[in-house]
Amino acid sequence: MQTNIITKIVGYIIIIFIIISLNFFLPRMMPAGPLSGLTSSTQQVSEQYIMYIVDLMHGDLGWSTTKNAPVWDVLMRSIIWTLLLVGSSTAIYITLGILLGAVSAWKKGEKTDVGLLILFIAMAAFPPFFLGMLFIIYFGWRLDLFPRFGAQTLYIDYSTAFGTLLDILHHLFLPALTLTLTSIGVIYLLTRNSMLNVLDEEYIRTARAKGLGEWYIIRKHALKNAMLPIITLVALIAGLVITGTIFVETVFAYPGVGLLVSDAISAHDYPLLQGAFLFFAFAILAVNFTADRIYELLDPRVKEE
Amino acid sequence: MIEATISFMKQYKNNKLGLVGLGLLIFFVLIAVFAPYIAPYDPHQRFESTEHPSSEHPLGTNHVGQDILSELIYGTRVSLFITLFASIAAVSIGILIGLVAGYFKRFNFSLMRLTDLFLTIPKLPIIIIIAAFMRPSVWNLVFVFAIFEWAITARIIRSEVLTLRHRNYVDATRLFGAKDSYILARHIFPYVVPLVFVQLILVSRYIILAESGLSFIGLGDPTAKSWGMMLHDAFVYPTIFISDLWMWWMLPAGLCIVLLILSFMFIGYALEEIVNPSLKRSPWI
Repeated sequence: MQTNIITKIVGYIIIIFIIISLNFFLPRMMPAGPLSGLTSSTQQVSEQYIMYIVDLMHGDLGWSTTKNAPVWDVLMRSIIWTLLLVGSSTAIYITLGILLGAVSAWKKGEKTDVGLLILFIAMAAFPPFFLGMLFIIYFGWRLDLFPRFGAQTLYIDYSTAFGTLLDILHHLFLPALTLTLTSIGVIYLLTRNSMLNVLDEEYIRTARAKGLGEWYIIRKHALKNAMLPIITLVALIAGLVITGTIFVETVFAYPGVGLLVSDAISAHDYPLLQGAFLFFAFAILAVNFTADRIYELLDPRVKEE
Repeated sequence: MIEATISFMKQYKNNKLGLVGLGLLIFFVLIAVFAPYIAPYDPHQRFESTEHPSSEHPLGTNHVGQDILSELIYGTRVSLFITLFASIAAVSIGILIGLVAGYFKRFNFSLMRLTDLFLTIPKLPIIIIIAAFMRPSVWNLVFVFAIFEWAITARIIRSEVLTLRHRNYVDATRLFGAKDSYILARHIFPYVVPLVFVQLILVSRYIILAESGLSFIGLGDPTAKSWGMMLHDAFVYPTIFISDLWMWWMLPAGLCIVLLILSFMFIGYALEEIVNPSLKRSPWI
Protein backbone atom coordinates (compact mmCIF):
# COMPACT_ATOMS: atom_id res chain seq x y z
CA MET A 1 0.00 0.00 0.00
CA GLN A 2 2.78 2.38 0.99
CA THR A 3 4.70 1.90 -2.29
CA ASN A 4 1.47 2.21 -4.23
CA ILE A 5 0.79 5.66 -2.83
CA ILE A 6 4.40 6.71 -3.32
CA THR A 7 4.42 5.71 -7.01
CA LYS A 8 1.16 7.59 -7.44
CA ILE A 9 2.50 10.76 -5.84
CA VAL A 10 5.72 10.51 -7.85
CA GLY A 11 3.52 10.18 -10.93
CA TYR A 12 1.64 13.37 -10.07
CA ILE A 13 4.90 15.25 -9.45
CA ILE A 14 6.23 14.14 -12.85
CA ILE A 15 3.02 15.28 -14.53
CA ILE A 16 3.16 18.68 -12.83
CA PHE A 17 6.76 18.97 -13.99
CA ILE A 18 5.77 18.05 -17.56
CA ILE A 19 2.94 20.61 -17.56
CA ILE A 20 5.15 23.42 -16.29
CA SER A 21 7.98 22.52 -18.66
CA LEU A 22 5.63 22.38 -21.65
CA ASN A 23 4.44 25.82 -20.71
CA PHE A 24 8.01 27.06 -20.55
CA PHE A 25 9.47 25.40 -23.66
CA LEU A 26 6.58 25.61 -26.14
CA PRO A 27 6.92 29.36 -26.80
CA ARG A 28 10.69 28.94 -27.05
CA MET A 29 10.36 26.30 -29.73
CA MET A 30 8.45 28.60 -32.00
CA PRO A 31 10.31 30.22 -34.88
CA ALA A 32 11.22 33.83 -34.19
CA GLY A 33 8.16 35.95 -34.75
CA PRO A 34 6.08 38.47 -32.94
CA LEU A 35 6.72 36.49 -29.78
CA SER A 36 10.49 36.59 -29.83
CA GLY A 37 10.34 39.67 -27.63
CA LEU A 38 8.77 37.52 -24.95
CA THR A 39 11.50 34.96 -24.91
CA SER A 40 14.69 36.50 -26.20
CA SER A 41 17.01 37.18 -23.36
CA THR A 42 20.68 37.28 -22.67
CA GLN A 43 20.28 34.70 -19.90
CA GLN A 44 20.91 30.98 -20.27
CA VAL A 45 17.82 28.86 -20.82
CA SER A 46 18.41 27.11 -17.49
CA GLU A 47 18.46 30.47 -15.68
CA GLN A 48 15.30 31.49 -17.48
CA TYR A 49 13.67 28.23 -16.45
CA ILE A 50 14.46 28.77 -12.79
CA MET A 51 13.26 32.36 -13.02
CA TYR A 52 10.07 31.12 -14.63
CA ILE A 53 9.35 28.66 -11.84
CA VAL A 54 10.09 31.29 -9.17
CA ASP A 55 7.71 33.69 -10.92
CA LEU A 56 5.11 30.96 -11.11
CA MET A 57 5.34 30.38 -7.38
CA HIS A 58 4.65 34.06 -6.86
CA GLY A 59 1.60 33.91 -9.09
CA ASP A 60 3.33 35.90 -11.82
CA LEU A 61 2.03 34.43 -15.06
CA GLY A 62 2.99 37.28 -17.34
CA TRP A 63 1.06 40.08 -18.97
CA SER A 64 -2.05 39.52 -21.07
CA THR A 65 -1.67 41.60 -24.23
CA THR A 66 -5.36 41.70 -25.09
CA LYS A 67 -6.78 42.34 -21.62
CA ASN A 68 -3.87 44.64 -20.77
CA ALA A 69 -3.62 43.27 -17.27
CA PRO A 70 -1.60 40.64 -15.42
CA VAL A 71 -2.70 37.14 -16.48
CA TRP A 72 -3.16 36.19 -12.84
CA ASP A 73 -5.73 38.97 -12.29
CA VAL A 74 -7.58 38.10 -15.49
CA LEU A 75 -7.76 34.44 -14.41
CA MET A 76 -8.93 35.30 -10.92
CA ARG A 77 -11.79 37.36 -12.32
CA SER A 78 -12.93 34.46 -14.52
CA ILE A 79 -12.39 31.43 -12.29
CA ILE A 80 -15.51 32.05 -10.21
CA TRP A 81 -17.75 31.70 -13.27
CA THR A 82 -16.09 28.51 -14.45
CA LEU A 83 -16.36 27.02 -10.97
CA LEU A 84 -20.03 27.99 -10.83
CA LEU A 85 -20.68 26.39 -14.22
CA VAL A 86 -18.72 23.20 -13.51
CA GLY A 87 -20.07 22.92 -9.96
CA SER A 88 -23.72 23.32 -10.86
CA SER A 89 -23.61 20.99 -13.87
CA THR A 90 -21.64 18.37 -11.93
CA ALA A 91 -24.16 18.45 -9.10
CA ILE A 92 -27.03 18.15 -11.57
CA TYR A 93 -25.66 15.39 -13.78
CA ILE A 94 -24.57 13.25 -10.84
CA THR A 95 -27.92 13.43 -8.99
CA LEU A 96 -30.02 13.29 -12.12
CA GLY A 97 -27.87 10.61 -13.77
CA ILE A 98 -28.02 8.30 -10.76
CA LEU A 99 -31.70 8.98 -10.12
CA LEU A 100 -32.81 8.46 -13.71
CA GLY A 101 -30.48 5.45 -14.08
CA ALA A 102 -32.15 3.86 -11.07
CA VAL A 103 -35.64 4.69 -12.37
CA SER A 104 -34.71 3.26 -15.77
CA ALA A 105 -33.46 0.00 -14.29
CA TRP A 106 -36.54 -0.28 -12.15
CA LYS A 107 -38.85 0.24 -15.14
CA LYS A 108 -36.76 -1.80 -17.54
CA GLY A 109 -38.33 -2.14 -20.98
CA GLU A 110 -41.16 0.28 -20.21
CA LYS A 111 -41.71 3.56 -22.04
CA THR A 112 -39.88 5.69 -19.45
CA ASP A 113 -36.81 3.48 -19.69
CA VAL A 114 -36.66 3.32 -23.48
CA GLY A 115 -37.32 7.05 -23.81
CA LEU A 116 -34.57 8.01 -21.37
CA LEU A 117 -32.17 5.55 -23.00
CA ILE A 118 -32.68 6.97 -26.48
CA LEU A 119 -32.53 10.57 -25.25
CA PHE A 120 -29.26 10.14 -23.38
CA ILE A 121 -27.56 8.07 -26.07
CA ALA A 122 -28.47 10.70 -28.65
CA MET A 123 -27.23 13.50 -26.39
CA ALA A 124 -23.90 11.73 -25.91
CA ALA A 125 -23.31 12.07 -29.67
CA PHE A 126 -23.65 15.86 -29.62
CA PRO A 127 -20.46 17.90 -29.28
CA PRO A 128 -21.15 20.41 -26.49
CA PHE A 129 -20.59 23.45 -28.71
CA PHE A 130 -23.08 22.22 -31.32
CA LEU A 131 -25.76 21.48 -28.73
CA GLY A 132 -25.09 24.90 -27.19
CA MET A 133 -25.54 26.64 -30.55
CA LEU A 134 -28.85 24.83 -31.09
CA PHE A 135 -30.01 25.93 -27.62
CA ILE A 136 -29.06 29.55 -28.33
CA ILE A 137 -30.99 29.47 -31.59
CA TYR A 138 -34.08 27.85 -30.13
CA PHE A 139 -34.33 29.02 -26.52
CA GLY A 140 -32.37 32.23 -26.99
CA TRP A 141 -33.57 33.64 -30.30
CA ARG A 142 -36.75 31.79 -31.25
CA LEU A 143 -38.45 31.61 -27.88
CA ASP A 144 -36.45 34.45 -26.31
CA LEU A 145 -36.62 32.65 -22.96
CA PHE A 146 -32.99 32.90 -21.95
CA PRO A 147 -30.16 35.40 -22.38
CA ARG A 148 -27.90 34.63 -25.31
CA PHE A 149 -24.55 35.59 -23.82
CA GLY A 150 -22.73 36.58 -20.66
CA ALA A 151 -23.15 35.67 -17.02
CA GLN A 152 -25.03 38.76 -15.86
CA THR A 153 -27.13 41.45 -17.45
CA LEU A 154 -24.85 44.41 -18.09
CA TYR A 155 -25.58 47.87 -16.75
CA ILE A 156 -28.50 46.74 -14.63
CA ASP A 157 -28.31 47.38 -10.94
CA TYR A 158 -30.57 45.03 -9.07
CA SER A 159 -31.58 46.51 -5.78
CA THR A 160 -32.00 43.14 -4.08
CA ALA A 161 -29.56 40.28 -3.75
CA PHE A 162 -32.37 37.97 -4.82
CA GLY A 163 -32.74 39.82 -8.11
CA THR A 164 -29.02 39.46 -8.81
CA LEU A 165 -29.16 35.77 -7.96
CA LEU A 166 -32.10 35.19 -10.31
CA ASP A 167 -30.27 37.03 -13.07
CA ILE A 168 -27.15 34.90 -12.58
CA LEU A 169 -29.18 31.67 -12.57
CA HIS A 170 -31.05 32.82 -15.65
CA HIS A 171 -27.73 33.24 -17.49
CA LEU A 172 -26.34 30.02 -16.07
CA PHE A 173 -29.23 27.83 -17.17
CA LEU A 174 -28.45 27.16 -20.84
CA PRO A 175 -24.67 26.64 -20.46
CA ALA A 176 -25.22 24.34 -17.48
CA LEU A 177 -27.95 22.44 -19.34
CA THR A 178 -25.61 21.92 -22.30
CA LEU A 179 -22.80 20.61 -20.12
CA THR A 180 -25.18 18.42 -18.14
CA LEU A 181 -26.84 16.84 -21.15
CA THR A 182 -23.59 16.08 -22.95
CA SER A 183 -22.03 14.41 -19.91
CA ILE A 184 -24.95 12.69 -18.16
CA GLY A 185 -25.14 9.68 -20.52
CA VAL A 186 -22.22 7.70 -19.17
CA ILE A 187 -23.26 7.95 -15.54
CA TYR A 188 -26.89 7.20 -16.36
CA LEU A 189 -25.94 4.09 -18.32
CA LEU A 190 -23.53 2.86 -15.67
CA THR A 191 -26.10 3.29 -12.89
CA ARG A 192 -28.77 1.58 -14.97
CA ASN A 193 -26.41 -1.26 -15.81
CA SER A 194 -25.14 -1.95 -12.33
CA MET A 195 -28.64 -1.57 -10.90
CA LEU A 196 -29.93 -4.17 -13.35
CA ASN A 197 -27.22 -6.56 -12.21
CA VAL A 198 -27.86 -5.89 -8.53
CA LEU A 199 -31.66 -6.16 -8.80
CA ASP A 200 -31.26 -9.82 -9.81
CA GLU A 201 -29.30 -10.69 -6.68
CA GLU A 202 -30.63 -12.96 -3.96
CA TYR A 203 -30.44 -10.38 -1.21
CA ILE A 204 -32.72 -8.04 -3.13
CA ARG A 205 -35.26 -10.82 -3.41
CA THR A 206 -34.90 -11.41 0.32
CA ALA A 207 -35.46 -7.73 1.02
CA ARG A 208 -38.58 -7.82 -1.14
CA ALA A 209 -39.79 -10.92 0.65
CA LYS A 210 -39.33 -9.11 3.95
CA GLY A 211 -41.85 -6.61 2.66
CA LEU A 212 -39.53 -3.63 2.37
CA GLY A 213 -40.70 -0.85 0.07
CA GLU A 214 -39.29 -0.71 -3.47
CA TRP A 215 -37.74 2.73 -3.02
CA TYR A 216 -36.13 1.69 0.26
CA ILE A 217 -34.62 -1.36 -1.42
CA ILE A 218 -33.26 0.70 -4.28
CA ARG A 219 -31.77 3.29 -1.99
CA LYS A 220 -30.34 1.11 0.76
CA HIS A 221 -29.48 -2.13 -1.01
CA ALA A 222 -29.11 -1.60 -4.71
CA LEU A 223 -27.69 1.92 -5.11
CA LYS A 224 -25.20 1.50 -2.29
CA ASN A 225 -23.52 -1.38 -4.06
CA ALA A 226 -23.60 0.40 -7.40
CA MET A 227 -21.79 3.46 -5.99
CA LEU A 228 -18.13 2.43 -6.34
CA PRO A 229 -17.87 2.22 -10.11
CA ILE A 230 -19.90 5.43 -10.32
CA ILE A 231 -17.32 7.35 -8.30
CA THR A 232 -14.49 6.17 -10.54
CA LEU A 233 -16.48 7.37 -13.47
CA VAL A 234 -17.26 10.76 -11.95
CA ALA A 235 -13.54 11.52 -11.90
CA LEU A 236 -13.31 10.60 -15.56
CA ILE A 237 -16.30 12.69 -16.55
CA ALA A 238 -15.22 15.59 -14.34
CA GLY A 239 -12.19 15.97 -16.59
CA LEU A 240 -14.45 16.05 -19.63
CA VAL A 241 -16.80 18.55 -18.01
CA ILE A 242 -13.96 20.85 -17.00
CA THR A 243 -12.53 20.89 -20.54
CA GLY A 244 -16.08 21.03 -21.88
CA THR A 245 -16.38 24.52 -20.39
CA ILE A 246 -13.85 25.72 -22.99
CA PHE A 247 -16.40 25.00 -25.73
CA VAL A 248 -19.60 25.80 -23.85
CA GLU A 249 -18.30 29.12 -22.51
CA THR A 250 -17.16 30.04 -26.01
CA VAL A 251 -20.61 29.42 -27.44
CA PHE A 252 -22.46 31.30 -24.70
CA ALA A 253 -19.77 33.99 -24.28
CA TYR A 254 -19.83 32.98 -20.62
CA PRO A 255 -16.99 34.94 -19.00
CA GLY A 256 -15.07 32.02 -17.45
CA VAL A 257 -11.58 30.64 -18.02
CA GLY A 258 -12.83 28.57 -20.97
CA LEU A 259 -13.81 31.71 -22.85
CA LEU A 260 -10.35 33.11 -22.12
CA VAL A 261 -8.86 30.09 -23.92
CA SER A 262 -10.73 30.65 -27.18
CA ASP A 263 -10.33 34.46 -26.93
CA ALA A 264 -6.59 34.05 -26.38
CA ILE A 265 -6.32 31.67 -29.34
CA SER A 266 -8.12 33.97 -31.75
CA ALA A 267 -6.18 37.04 -30.55
CA HIS A 268 -2.81 35.20 -30.26
CA ASP A 269 -2.58 36.27 -26.64
CA TYR A 270 -0.16 33.50 -25.68
CA PRO A 271 0.58 34.46 -22.06
CA LEU A 272 -3.15 34.39 -21.32
CA LEU A 273 -3.53 31.05 -23.11
CA GLN A 274 -0.69 29.59 -21.06
CA GLY A 275 -2.20 30.83 -17.81
CA ALA A 276 -5.58 29.34 -18.70
CA PHE A 277 -3.82 26.11 -19.68
CA LEU A 278 -2.22 25.87 -16.24
CA PHE A 279 -5.63 26.39 -14.64
CA PHE A 280 -7.28 23.62 -16.64
CA ALA A 281 -4.41 21.17 -16.26
CA PHE A 282 -4.19 21.62 -12.50
CA ALA A 283 -7.97 21.57 -12.04
CA ILE A 284 -8.21 18.19 -13.76
CA LEU A 285 -5.25 16.82 -11.82
CA ALA A 286 -6.82 17.96 -8.55
CA VAL A 287 -10.11 16.27 -9.42
CA ASN A 288 -8.39 13.02 -10.35
CA PHE A 289 -6.34 13.06 -7.17
CA THR A 290 -9.40 13.67 -4.99
CA ALA A 291 -11.37 10.93 -6.71
CA ASP A 292 -8.47 8.54 -6.13
CA ARG A 293 -8.48 9.32 -2.40
CA ILE A 294 -12.27 9.02 -2.08
CA TYR A 295 -12.18 5.71 -3.87
CA GLU A 296 -9.58 4.43 -1.43
CA LEU A 297 -11.66 5.57 1.51
CA LEU A 298 -14.77 3.84 0.24
CA ASP A 299 -13.24 0.63 -1.04
CA PRO A 300 -11.10 -1.06 1.61
CA ARG A 301 -9.84 -3.56 -0.99
CA VAL A 302 -7.75 -0.88 -2.67
CA LYS A 303 -5.87 -0.26 0.58
CA GLU A 304 -5.05 -3.89 1.25
CA GLU A 305 -3.47 -4.50 -2.13
CA MET B 1 -8.58 -17.24 -38.56
CA ILE B 2 -10.91 -17.28 -41.59
CA GLU B 3 -13.49 -19.28 -39.68
CA ALA B 4 -13.30 -16.83 -36.82
CA THR B 5 -13.82 -13.94 -39.22
CA ILE B 6 -16.86 -15.59 -40.79
CA SER B 7 -18.49 -16.36 -37.43
CA PHE B 8 -17.70 -12.80 -36.36
CA MET B 9 -19.44 -11.41 -39.44
CA LYS B 10 -22.44 -13.65 -38.83
CA GLN B 11 -22.75 -12.39 -35.28
CA TYR B 12 -22.33 -8.81 -36.40
CA LYS B 13 -25.01 -9.21 -39.06
CA ASN B 14 -27.60 -9.94 -36.35
CA ASN B 15 -26.92 -6.65 -34.62
CA LYS B 16 -29.21 -4.00 -36.09
CA LEU B 17 -27.58 -1.02 -34.39
CA GLY B 18 -24.20 -2.27 -35.49
CA LEU B 19 -25.36 -2.49 -39.10
CA VAL B 20 -26.79 1.02 -39.01
CA GLY B 21 -23.51 2.32 -37.60
CA LEU B 22 -21.43 0.49 -40.18
CA GLY B 23 -23.72 1.72 -42.97
CA LEU B 24 -23.27 5.32 -41.83
CA LEU B 25 -19.51 4.96 -41.62
CA ILE B 26 -19.30 3.41 -45.10
CA PHE B 27 -21.50 6.23 -46.41
CA PHE B 28 -19.10 8.85 -45.03
CA VAL B 29 -16.03 6.97 -46.25
CA LEU B 30 -17.49 6.81 -49.77
CA ILE B 31 -18.21 10.53 -49.72
CA ALA B 32 -14.68 11.23 -48.52
CA VAL B 33 -13.08 9.02 -51.18
CA PHE B 34 -15.17 10.29 -54.08
CA ALA B 35 -15.36 13.91 -52.91
CA PRO B 36 -13.99 15.39 -56.16
CA TYR B 37 -16.66 13.56 -58.19
CA ILE B 38 -19.58 14.34 -55.88
CA ALA B 39 -18.87 17.95 -54.96
CA PRO B 40 -20.40 20.45 -57.39
CA TYR B 41 -17.46 22.88 -57.10
CA ASP B 42 -13.90 23.14 -55.91
CA PRO B 43 -14.20 24.10 -52.22
CA HIS B 44 -11.78 27.01 -52.72
CA GLN B 45 -13.64 28.52 -55.68
CA ARG B 46 -15.31 31.84 -54.81
CA PHE B 47 -18.77 33.16 -55.65
CA GLU B 48 -20.97 35.85 -54.14
CA SER B 49 -20.66 35.62 -50.36
CA THR B 50 -23.43 34.40 -47.99
CA GLU B 51 -25.86 33.50 -50.74
CA HIS B 52 -29.05 31.68 -49.77
CA PRO B 53 -29.64 28.15 -51.06
CA SER B 54 -30.46 28.01 -54.75
CA SER B 55 -30.29 25.45 -57.53
CA GLU B 56 -26.68 26.49 -58.17
CA HIS B 57 -25.68 26.33 -54.51
CA PRO B 58 -27.95 23.84 -52.68
CA LEU B 59 -26.57 24.95 -49.29
CA GLY B 60 -25.72 28.53 -50.23
CA THR B 61 -22.27 30.07 -49.91
CA ASN B 62 -20.19 31.07 -46.89
CA HIS B 63 -18.66 34.36 -45.76
CA VAL B 64 -15.97 34.32 -48.45
CA GLY B 65 -18.28 32.95 -51.13
CA GLN B 66 -17.31 29.28 -51.12
CA ASP B 67 -20.01 26.74 -51.96
CA ILE B 68 -21.05 25.23 -48.61
CA LEU B 69 -22.13 21.86 -49.98
CA SER B 70 -18.73 21.37 -51.61
CA GLU B 71 -17.07 22.48 -48.39
CA LEU B 72 -19.14 19.94 -46.46
CA ILE B 73 -18.21 17.12 -48.87
CA TYR B 74 -14.52 17.94 -48.78
CA GLY B 75 -14.82 18.47 -45.02
CA THR B 76 -15.83 14.81 -44.72
CA ARG B 77 -12.41 14.00 -46.13
CA VAL B 78 -10.56 16.13 -43.60
CA SER B 79 -12.59 15.02 -40.57
CA LEU B 80 -12.44 11.33 -41.46
CA PHE B 81 -8.77 11.48 -42.43
CA ILE B 82 -7.72 13.03 -39.11
CA THR B 83 -9.97 10.71 -37.12
CA LEU B 84 -8.99 7.45 -38.78
CA PHE B 85 -5.29 8.22 -39.20
CA ALA B 86 -4.89 9.48 -35.65
CA SER B 87 -6.82 6.58 -34.15
CA ILE B 88 -4.88 4.00 -36.17
CA ALA B 89 -1.61 5.62 -35.10
CA ALA B 90 -2.68 5.87 -31.45
CA VAL B 91 -3.98 2.30 -31.31
CA SER B 92 -0.81 0.99 -33.00
CA ILE B 93 1.35 2.62 -30.35
CA GLY B 94 -1.01 1.16 -27.74
CA ILE B 95 -0.76 -2.35 -29.23
CA LEU B 96 3.03 -2.22 -29.34
CA ILE B 97 3.39 -1.02 -25.75
CA GLY B 98 0.66 -3.36 -24.50
CA LEU B 99 2.21 -6.42 -26.18
CA VAL B 100 5.71 -5.66 -24.93
CA ALA B 101 4.58 -4.79 -21.40
CA GLY B 102 2.37 -7.86 -21.14
CA TYR B 103 4.76 -10.36 -22.68
CA PHE B 104 8.20 -9.31 -21.46
CA LYS B 105 8.26 -9.14 -17.68
CA ARG B 106 11.26 -6.86 -17.47
CA PHE B 107 9.51 -4.05 -19.37
CA ASN B 108 6.23 -4.42 -17.52
CA PHE B 109 6.89 -2.03 -14.63
CA SER B 110 8.43 0.86 -16.55
CA LEU B 111 5.98 0.70 -19.46
CA MET B 112 2.99 0.51 -17.14
CA ARG B 113 4.17 3.52 -15.14
CA LEU B 114 4.51 5.37 -18.44
CA THR B 115 0.97 4.28 -19.35
CA ASP B 116 -0.35 5.43 -15.96
CA LEU B 117 1.34 8.76 -16.56
CA PHE B 118 -0.39 9.21 -19.89
CA LEU B 119 -3.71 8.12 -18.38
CA THR B 120 -3.51 10.73 -15.60
CA ILE B 121 -2.17 13.55 -17.73
CA PRO B 122 -4.86 16.17 -18.54
CA LYS B 123 -4.99 15.31 -22.23
CA LEU B 124 -7.24 17.88 -23.82
CA PRO B 125 -5.62 21.00 -22.27
CA ILE B 126 -2.20 19.71 -23.33
CA ILE B 127 -3.42 18.91 -26.84
CA ILE B 128 -4.90 22.41 -27.06
CA ILE B 129 -1.75 24.19 -25.90
CA ILE B 130 0.51 22.18 -28.22
CA ALA B 131 -1.85 22.70 -31.15
CA ALA B 132 -1.96 26.43 -30.39
CA PHE B 133 1.82 26.75 -30.57
CA MET B 134 2.24 24.58 -33.65
CA ARG B 135 1.33 25.70 -37.14
CA PRO B 136 -2.26 24.54 -37.58
CA SER B 137 -2.17 21.64 -40.00
CA VAL B 138 -3.91 18.31 -40.48
CA TRP B 139 -0.70 16.34 -39.86
CA ASN B 140 0.09 18.20 -36.66
CA LEU B 141 -3.37 17.35 -35.30
CA VAL B 142 -2.89 13.67 -36.22
CA PHE B 143 0.48 13.73 -34.48
CA VAL B 144 -0.79 15.27 -31.22
CA PHE B 145 -3.79 12.96 -30.99
CA ALA B 146 -1.65 9.88 -31.66
CA ILE B 147 0.77 10.81 -28.89
CA PHE B 148 -1.91 11.34 -26.27
CA GLU B 149 -4.51 8.67 -27.05
CA TRP B 150 -2.63 5.37 -26.87
CA ALA B 151 -2.61 4.74 -23.12
CA ILE B 152 -6.00 3.05 -22.64
CA THR B 153 -5.33 0.68 -25.54
CA ALA B 154 -1.95 -0.27 -24.08
CA ARG B 155 -3.63 -1.04 -20.75
CA ILE B 156 -6.30 -3.23 -22.26
CA ILE B 157 -3.99 -5.11 -24.62
CA ARG B 158 -1.52 -5.74 -21.80
CA SER B 159 -4.08 -7.32 -19.48
CA GLU B 160 -5.26 -9.56 -22.32
CA VAL B 161 -1.67 -10.59 -23.12
CA LEU B 162 -1.08 -11.38 -19.44
CA THR B 163 -3.85 -13.98 -19.52
CA LEU B 164 -2.71 -15.38 -22.90
CA ARG B 165 0.97 -15.64 -22.04
CA HIS B 166 0.68 -18.72 -19.86
CA ARG B 167 -1.94 -20.67 -21.76
CA ASN B 168 -0.85 -24.26 -22.25
CA TYR B 169 -0.41 -24.04 -25.99
CA VAL B 170 1.80 -20.97 -25.64
CA ASP B 171 3.99 -22.74 -23.08
CA ALA B 172 4.10 -25.77 -25.36
CA THR B 173 5.18 -23.67 -28.34
CA ARG B 174 7.88 -22.13 -26.21
CA LEU B 175 9.11 -25.58 -25.13
CA PHE B 176 9.46 -26.49 -28.79
CA GLY B 177 11.90 -23.62 -29.04
CA ALA B 178 9.74 -21.00 -30.71
CA LYS B 179 11.10 -17.47 -30.58
CA ASP B 180 9.25 -14.77 -28.69
CA SER B 181 8.58 -12.89 -31.91
CA TYR B 182 6.97 -16.03 -33.39
CA ILE B 183 4.79 -16.60 -30.34
CA LEU B 184 3.73 -12.96 -30.25
CA ALA B 185 2.85 -12.87 -33.93
CA ARG B 186 1.28 -16.31 -34.20
CA HIS B 187 -0.32 -17.07 -30.84
CA ILE B 188 -0.88 -13.80 -29.07
CA PHE B 189 -1.56 -11.04 -31.55
CA PRO B 190 -4.42 -12.82 -33.38
CA TYR B 191 -6.29 -13.11 -30.10
CA VAL B 192 -6.12 -9.41 -29.32
CA VAL B 193 -7.35 -8.38 -32.78
CA PRO B 194 -11.02 -8.15 -31.72
CA LEU B 195 -10.00 -5.88 -28.84
CA VAL B 196 -7.99 -3.78 -31.28
CA PHE B 197 -11.12 -3.14 -33.33
CA VAL B 198 -13.11 -2.12 -30.27
CA GLN B 199 -10.32 0.26 -29.29
CA LEU B 200 -10.08 1.73 -32.79
CA ILE B 201 -13.75 2.62 -32.67
CA LEU B 202 -13.65 4.01 -29.13
CA VAL B 203 -10.57 6.13 -29.85
CA SER B 204 -12.05 7.34 -33.15
CA ARG B 205 -15.13 8.51 -31.34
CA TYR B 206 -13.06 10.49 -28.89
CA ILE B 207 -10.84 11.97 -31.60
CA ILE B 208 -13.65 13.21 -33.86
CA LEU B 209 -15.18 14.92 -30.82
CA ALA B 210 -11.86 16.48 -29.81
CA GLU B 211 -10.90 17.40 -33.37
CA SER B 212 -14.17 19.20 -34.04
CA GLY B 213 -13.84 20.97 -30.70
CA LEU B 214 -10.29 22.10 -31.44
CA SER B 215 -11.26 23.28 -34.90
CA PHE B 216 -14.26 25.06 -33.42
CA ILE B 217 -12.12 27.19 -31.13
CA GLY B 218 -9.90 28.06 -34.09
CA LEU B 219 -7.10 25.50 -34.02
CA GLY B 220 -8.06 23.69 -37.22
CA ASP B 221 -6.23 23.80 -40.52
CA PRO B 222 -7.61 26.79 -42.47
CA THR B 223 -6.40 25.32 -45.78
CA ALA B 224 -8.17 21.97 -45.29
CA LYS B 225 -11.42 22.72 -43.52
CA SER B 226 -13.00 20.00 -41.41
CA TRP B 227 -16.61 20.06 -40.24
CA GLY B 228 -15.51 21.62 -36.95
CA MET B 229 -13.72 24.38 -38.88
CA MET B 230 -16.93 25.08 -40.85
CA LEU B 231 -18.78 25.46 -37.55
CA HIS B 232 -16.05 27.85 -36.42
CA ASP B 233 -16.46 29.99 -39.55
CA ALA B 234 -20.23 29.99 -39.15
CA PHE B 235 -20.08 30.77 -35.44
CA VAL B 236 -17.79 33.79 -35.75
CA TYR B 237 -19.91 35.24 -38.57
CA PRO B 238 -21.72 38.16 -36.89
CA THR B 239 -25.31 37.59 -38.02
CA ILE B 240 -25.32 33.80 -38.07
CA PHE B 241 -28.13 33.40 -35.54
CA ILE B 242 -30.19 36.42 -36.45
CA SER B 243 -30.54 35.52 -40.10
CA ASP B 244 -31.44 32.07 -41.41
CA LEU B 245 -27.81 31.37 -42.37
CA TRP B 246 -27.36 28.82 -39.58
CA MET B 247 -29.87 26.49 -41.22
CA TRP B 248 -27.64 25.65 -44.18
CA TRP B 249 -24.26 26.73 -42.88
CA MET B 250 -24.14 25.44 -39.32
CA LEU B 251 -26.74 22.69 -39.09
CA PRO B 252 -25.46 20.31 -41.84
CA ALA B 253 -21.85 20.34 -40.57
CA GLY B 254 -23.00 19.84 -36.98
CA LEU B 255 -25.33 17.00 -37.91
CA CYS B 256 -22.54 15.30 -39.87
CA ILE B 257 -20.39 15.29 -36.72
CA VAL B 258 -23.30 13.92 -34.67
CA LEU B 259 -24.00 11.17 -37.23
CA LEU B 260 -20.35 10.13 -37.40
CA ILE B 261 -20.15 9.94 -33.61
CA LEU B 262 -23.40 7.96 -33.51
CA SER B 263 -22.04 5.56 -36.09
CA PHE B 264 -18.90 4.99 -33.99
CA MET B 265 -21.08 4.49 -30.90
CA PHE B 266 -23.30 1.92 -32.61
CA ILE B 267 -20.37 -0.01 -34.10
CA GLY B 268 -18.69 0.09 -30.70
CA TYR B 269 -21.73 -1.38 -28.91
CA ALA B 270 -22.06 -4.12 -31.51
CA LEU B 271 -18.37 -5.05 -31.33
CA GLU B 272 -18.35 -5.03 -27.56
CA GLU B 273 -21.29 -7.39 -27.42
CA ILE B 274 -19.45 -9.86 -29.62
CA VAL B 275 -16.04 -9.50 -27.99
CA ASN B 276 -17.38 -9.40 -24.46
CA PRO B 277 -20.30 -11.84 -24.36
CA SER B 278 -20.79 -11.22 -20.64
CA LEU B 279 -22.23 -7.87 -21.68
CA LYS B 280 -24.90 -9.65 -23.72
CA ARG B 281 -27.55 -8.81 -21.22
CA SER B 282 -26.40 -5.23 -21.26
CA PRO B 283 -28.79 -2.36 -21.86
CA TRP B 284 -28.61 -2.21 -25.65
CA ILE B 285 -32.05 -3.28 -26.65
